Amino acid sequence: MIANGVAIDDSFAEAFPMKATRLVITAHTLTWAMNAAVSATGFATSVIACGCEAGIERELAPTDTPDGRPGVSVLIFSMSGKELAKQVERRVGQCVLTCPTTAVFAGISEGEAIALGKNLRFFGDGWQISKVIDGVRYWRVPVMDGEFVAQETTAVVKCVGGGNLLLMCTDTDAALAVAEAAVAAMKALPNVIMPFPGGVVRSGSKVGSKYATLGASTNDAFCPGLHGLAASSEITPQTRCVMEIVIDGLAEADVGAAMRAGMQAGIAIGAAGGLMRISAGNYGGKLGPFHFHLRQLLAAPATA
Amino acid sequence: MSGFRLSLKHAPAVRVDLRGVLPAALAGWSVAQVEQLQVGHGRALVPLAEFFTVEPDGDDGMLRFVGDLSRCDRIGWQMGGGRLTVDGPAGHYTGGGMSGGALRVNGAVGLLAGCEMAGGQLTVDGDAGDFAASTLPGSMDGMRGGTLIVTGHAGQRFGDRMRRGTALVFGDAGDFLASRMVAGTIGIGGRAGAHVGYGMRRGSLVFATTAPQIAPTFVPAVADALVFWQLLARDLARHGGPFEALPSRAITRHLGDLASDGRGELILAT
Repeated sequence: MIANGVAIDDSFAEAFPMKATRLVITAHTLTWAMNAAVSATGFATSVIACGCEAGIERELAPTDTPDGRPGVSVLIFSMSGKELAKQVERRVGQCVLTCPTTAVFAGISEGEAIALGKNLRFFGDGWQISKVIDGVRYWRVPVMDGEFVAQETTAVVKCVGGGNLLLMCTDTDAALAVAEAAVAAMKALPNVIMPFPGGVVRSGSKVGSKYATLGASTNDAFCPGLHGLAASSEITPQTRCVMEIVIDGLAEADVGAAMRAGMQAGIAIGAAGGLMRISAGNYGGKLGPFHFHLRQLLAAPATA
Repeated sequence: MSGFRLSLKHAPAVRVDLRGVLPAALAGWSVAQVEQLQVGHGRALVPLAEFFTVEPDGDDGMLRFVGDLSRCDRIGWQMGGGRLTVDGPAGHYTGGGMSGGALRVNGAVGLLAGCEMAGGQLTVDGDAGDFAASTLPGSMDGMRGGTLIVTGHAGQRFGDRMRRGTALVFGDAGDFLASRMVAGTIGIGGRAGAHVGYGMRRGSLVFATTAPQIAPTFVPAVADALVFWQLLARDLARHGGPFEALPSRAITRHLGDLASDGRGELILAT
C-alpha cells in the first residue's frame, strides 16, 4: 500500500493491557499548573525503569475544572494497580503538593479507587481537615501559601499501552519534522499520551539480548548504522533515519485513533517531505492482546 | 410498587409514633394490610386505620401523609430508601436516623428533625424546631451524613454535635447554632442567634447574607481557602435560595472554637 509516496507496511502494532488514572491539577495560573504537571510526569517514559508512563493530556479552561481555576490533565499508566498507586503517591507528593498554589483532583470517577490525598494528608501533622462535599472526600492540608486541597482517591481503569508507529525517513531533518507533525496530530486527541521526550523515541527496542541479564536491547533491524552488518535489516539507502512514537491510551479505540491521526499527518508530508515508509513494532502477535493493523486503521473511517 | 396516601382523620388524643411506616416496608402491601399496621399511641398499639384513611396512590412506591401531623412523631424514622412526603406539619424526630431516600415535609416540623440522620435528603418546606440535625440525648454524634434543608427558620441548637453531611437553613437559626459541632457543613441564609459555633471542633458554617456575632474564642483567618471555598460554594449553590450566588462571593473566615479543637471555621460570604 502506497499513500502519497509513503509505503504502509502490512504490519501491526502490538499493545498490552495496563492500568491508568487521570489527574486534574489546577493552580492559580496555568503556568503553575503546568509546572506541577511537567514535574509530576517527568522521568516517566517507560515502565521498564520509570515505574510508570505519564504525560500531559491537555490544558483545561477554568470552566472545566472543579475549582474554577486553570488546570492541566495528566494521564499516568503502569503495569499494575499497585505500582500505579505507588507512583501516584510519590509523584503527587513530591511534584504537586510542593508546587505553589496547586490542587489535585481525580480525573476519572469510575473504577477501583487508589489513594490520592489519602496518605499525603499526614503532611498536615494533625492540622489537616477532611471535607466531604457532594459525597466526595477532600483533604485540606495547611502549607506555606495557604492550603493544599487534594481529593482523597482517584480511580484506576484498564487501558492499553504500547501502541506505536515506526516512521522511516530519508534523513534526520525529515525524520524529526515527520515525527513532530505526527505527535502534534496525536496530541489533539483525548485520552492518549506519548510518554517519550517530545513524544518521540529513537531507541526502539527488540525483545531479548545477547546479554542474559537484559530483557530488551536495541532494535538492530532498524538501526541505519548496522545496515549491511546485522543479519537482517529493514534499512535501505533511502531510509536512513527511523523514529518511533509510542502511544498509551485509556481504550483500544483511543490508541487506534491516535495512530491513525499520526499516520495521516505523516502521509500529508509524504515522500516529498522525506517519509518513505511507516511500520510498527510487534512481537509476532503472541505477547500483547491488542493488535493495531496499520492498513486497517487507515481504511477505517475516523470515529474520534 | 404500590404507593399509598394516608389522610389523617382527626387529631389524635395523645402523640402517635409512626416509626416503621416507611415506603420500603409497605411496598407490595394491600390497603387492608396497611390499615392493620400497628403504631404506637401513647402506651398502646393501635391499627393505623384508627387515625388514617388509607388509599392506594400511584405505583411509584411513594408514601404520602396528608393532614396536620404535628402530633405524629418519628415520621420517616430510620428510613433507608424510597420517597415519603408529608403534606402538612409533622411532629418530633421527623427523619431521625434516616440513611437514604427522600423525605419531604410541606410544613413545619417539631423538635429533633433529622437528628442523627446518616444519608438521604430531608427537606422541610417550613420551620424546624429546636435540635434539628443534632443528636439524641446521650449520643456522641449528631447528624452524620445526608442533606437536611429547612426553607424556613430553625430553632436553637441546630446541628448540635453534627459530624458529617450538609444542613441548610434558608431563614434564621436560633441560639447555639452548631454547638459542639464535630464536622460537616451548615449553611444559614438569614440571621443566627447568640453563641454561634459554641464548642465546635471542626466543620464549616457558611453565612450567606448576615454575619453573626462572633465569640472571642474565634480568630480571624489570614490565609485564603479559595480552592476549598469554590468546591463548597458550588455544591451549596445547587440548593438555590440564598446560597445560589455563593460561588461569586468573596469570603472572610474565622477559625475556632479555640475552647475546643479549634479547626472549625465560620465563613462569612456576606
